[in-house]
Amino acid sequence: MKMSYPLSYKILILIIILSGCSNNSITVSENMDPFERMNRQVFSFNKKVDERIISPISSTYEKEIPASTRKAIRNHIDWLDTPNTILNSSLQIDFKNTILASAKFMLNGLTLGFYDLDKGETAIKKRDFGSTLAKYNVPEGPFLMVPFIGPKTSRAFTGTILNTNIMSNISSSPLNDLRLMEVPLDTIDTRSKLSKTIDNIYESPDPYIKLRSFYIQNRRNIVYGKKYINLKDKETDAEFEKLLE
Amino acid sequence: MQNLKNYWNKFKYILLLVSILFSPVFTYNSYSDDLQQGNKLILEMIAKAQKHALETIELSSEDRSKKITPLINSYINLDFMAKATTGSFWKKATDDQKTKYKLALLHQIVNTIEDHLNTLATMTYKPLSSELRGKKLIYVRGVIEDRKKNNPPINLLWKLSKGKDETFGILDLEIEGISLVRSHKSEAISILRKNKGDFNYLIEKLKIKK
Repeated sequence: MKMSYPLSYKILILIIILSGCSNNSITVSENMDPFERMNRQVFSFNKKVDERIISPISSTYEKEIPASTRKAIRNHIDWLDTPNTILNSSLQIDFKNTILASAKFMLNGLTLGFYDLDKGETAIKKRDFGSTLAKYNVPEGPFLMVPFIGPKTSRAFTGTILNTNIMSNISSSPLNDLRLMEVPLDTIDTRSKLSKTIDNIYESPDPYIKLRSFYIQNRRNIVYGKKYINLKDKETDAEFEKLLE
Repeated sequence: MQNLKNYWNKFKYILLLVSILFSPVFTYNSYSDDLQQGNKLILEMIAKAQKHALETIELSSEDRSKKITPLINSYINLDFMAKATTGSFWKKATDDQKTKYKLALLHQIVNTIEDHLNTLATMTYKPLSSELRGKKLIYVRGVIEDRKKNNPPINLLWKLSKGKDETFGILDLEIEGISLVRSHKSEAISILRKNKGDFNYLIEKLKIKK
């Protein structure tokens, strides 16, 4: 563990300050987009990068690599990300998830994560610094379209930056090198997994809004879970009943 | 005569008590019927879509879409979806615009389903639960699983309601918590707001780019 005290204190202080001055009420609205004009420009840029570079590579990857090998690669990438879940589950005081994720990480470590020895029996909730910030009442903030990375809320983006900094400080250097080397592979694998959904987004009347809607709904499901789902269902039920009258 | 009157009064009370006691049972039975019908509708639709996917595997995407359109249209409540995705702008549209919008929306939905038909054909659907929501809605939950276990299972939530003709129609589908009506609504409202509620522009934009 190489994490320096000043860095951990900085994070703790940041969390306390942000949680003290924030109002983290969960909302169903998807309109928190004050930077829409700029975001649309970044979206166009990302779309070009995707269409010219990432998409062709990912379709070749899907055609040439057998499904079982792709699954092993996906398992390995998920395994490399497990320390992030372990750390964030403990920061969120979710001990059950911390223990389960740690056990699974060690067990699958025997195959470097390429094979899931647990066969998916243990359900682990993925946790990141974005969800930890949400747990400590940091508001979601405006929607952002980040070059090369894609859609994020400003809280999730802060989480991604913290993730990169903290994980590189506390992980061993071979694991860090491996993680860095596998960023392109992760991108290609994720793109191939989501190819139908991404193509469907590009074909829609306003791809930017569709992507924003998909991302926000999915992210809130992950971060808030049942709290958000219940609120969304309650609001939708009232709206639907009114329309059915 | 007095005895007969007393008996009648007693009988009335007993009848009232019995009807009160059994009314929840009857209501429950009708609810349970609705839940069963809702589940049955989804199972039937998935089976038909899977059969269609296998039978049309060699056709072009356009021909496949044409063939599956009547099937999808018979299961969804298109009137409701059109209203739900355009909010307050719906009232301002002309009858002609409403008809054209419904057709364009149907094509969008069919296109989304067509994109995933091959995936659907290789997966198994398992119903999970169904639930009554308020007076009119039914939620049917299910999961589609990859038979070869190469992909994680996908959770589905169907929102249904009974129409005036007592048949069920699908109002919305949530895939892994992402509502199709909600995302269509975000798009449609954004386009309408930016173009002063011009429905013709929205209909033009909805034409599928393939």
